[in-house]
Amino acid sequence: MEYEIISAPSYSAVECHLDAGESVVGDSGAMAWMTDGIQTETSTRGGLLKGLKRSLLAGESFFQNTYTAENGPGAITFAPGAAGDIASYELSESELILERGAFLASQTGVDCDSKWDGVRGLLNEGMFLLRVGGTGTLFFHSYGDLEVVDVESEYIVDNGHAVAWEPTLEYQLTRGRKIRSFLFSDQLLLRFSGYGRLWIQSRSATALAEWAYPFRRVESKSDD
Amino acid sequence: MEIEILGKGAFESALVHLQPGDTFVSESGAMFRASANVDIDVTTHSRSSGGLLSGLKRLLAGENFFFSTYSTEDGQPGQVGLAPTHQGEVYLIEMDGSSDWLCAGGSFLGASSEIDIDTQFQGFKGFLTGEAPVFIRASGRGQLLVAAYGRIVSNQVESELTVDTGHVVAFEETLDYSLSKAGSSWISSWLAGEGIVLNFSGSGRLLTQSHNPGEFGGELGPRLPKRSS
Repeated sequence: MEYEIISAPSYSAVECHLDAGESVVGDSGAMAWMTDGIQTETSTRGGLLKGLKRSLLAGESFFQNTYTAENGPGAITFAPGAAGDIASYELSESELILERGAFLASQTGVDCDSKWDGVRGLLNEGMFLLRVGGTGTLFFHSYGDLEVVDVESEYIVDNGHAVAWEPTLEYQLTRGRKIRSFLFSDQLLLRFSGYGRLWIQSRSATALAEWAYPFRRVESKSDD
Repeated sequence: MEIEILGKGAFESALVHLQPGDTFVSESGAMFRASANVDIDVTTHSRSSGGLLSGLKRLLAGENFFFSTYSTEDGQPGQVGLAPTHQGEVYLIEMDGSSDWLCAGGSFLGASSEIDIDTQFQGFKGFLTGEAPVFIRASGRGQLLVAAYGRIVSNQVESELTVDTGHVVAFEETLDYSLSKAGSSWISSWLAGEGIVLNFSGSGRLLTQSHNPGEFGGELGPRLPKRSS
């Protein structure tokens, strides 16, 4: 499959060129435009339980769509909901850990499975992380720019800014050793250790939502 | 200390490279990445000035109560990444100590520790703007980071310039400023949706932003569920 990430880095979308008979999987709602002759099949990909796990636990969609180019080659473009960047990653019987909601599209040999991450995960942005494995090209997206860090030993990322990382990295939720204020609630940090690649997004949708909150109108008493 | 502005699009961020002995200060919560040898300390003041009162003053300025200070703890160089909330540009001001800078509400992102950060109340004049009634004053010699919603335009004011209050990012204190109405009368200004503007005069640099966060908030607010209080 040939692909091109267009209008990067601020308004990225990915254009996939499919050979006849070739398929690509997209997150529900991620398809932006496609040529005719592409057949859409909606399924839970892996059964009801997997769909439920993916949607309830990892914040991804219950259904995923498989797009197949029938009767000749075709093209399809996927775009995420938030403005930002898209990264591609080649899996070959390997895995990548994605933050809640970061999955965009993949080749059919790639499997999304939510991963129970215990109490650490509960404190994280979402409750669960998405463990993506198999063989093929994977596309994930960020809100804001993607900054890539090759971790050698240790690195710290604000909770909510980590997008994806290689499973060779260990991670731990921390408040930092010397952050001494208990009043200081907005900085839960992820401390990564080991060797591996880490993708960080330069904006946080949570921070934007918190900023927007005071602009909401006040409910009047008679509204009940 | 070297500061890199990362991202050449709608979402810029700053990567501060700390040498041993360097200290950098930011609004708390602005840090989104750091090397593991960076010590993060939380204070209510930037340098010697302050204490609790300066934290409270900053709250009124629409900034965070706390500052975070960053330094490396193991004698090795380190790095800290800082990002604002909104999409937009990050701008580095090299302050030579000749004039202070005033940052409009929310635009202050960080500064090297040699720079003194204080909160400047504008009194009645400030309250009228409908913006945060205070500016963050940066003085001294060092590096100052500000962030904007949208693109930043650096204007060299030589005589006069009128700017909507929501589009001011930061300016040199050599500039004089006064509040006025945009239209010929208060009513026509209000009807034009351009309530109050800042009139700058004198000579100095003025950074403006292409978008007004308050206007954006006004677009979003009615579309969100109501809040109870």
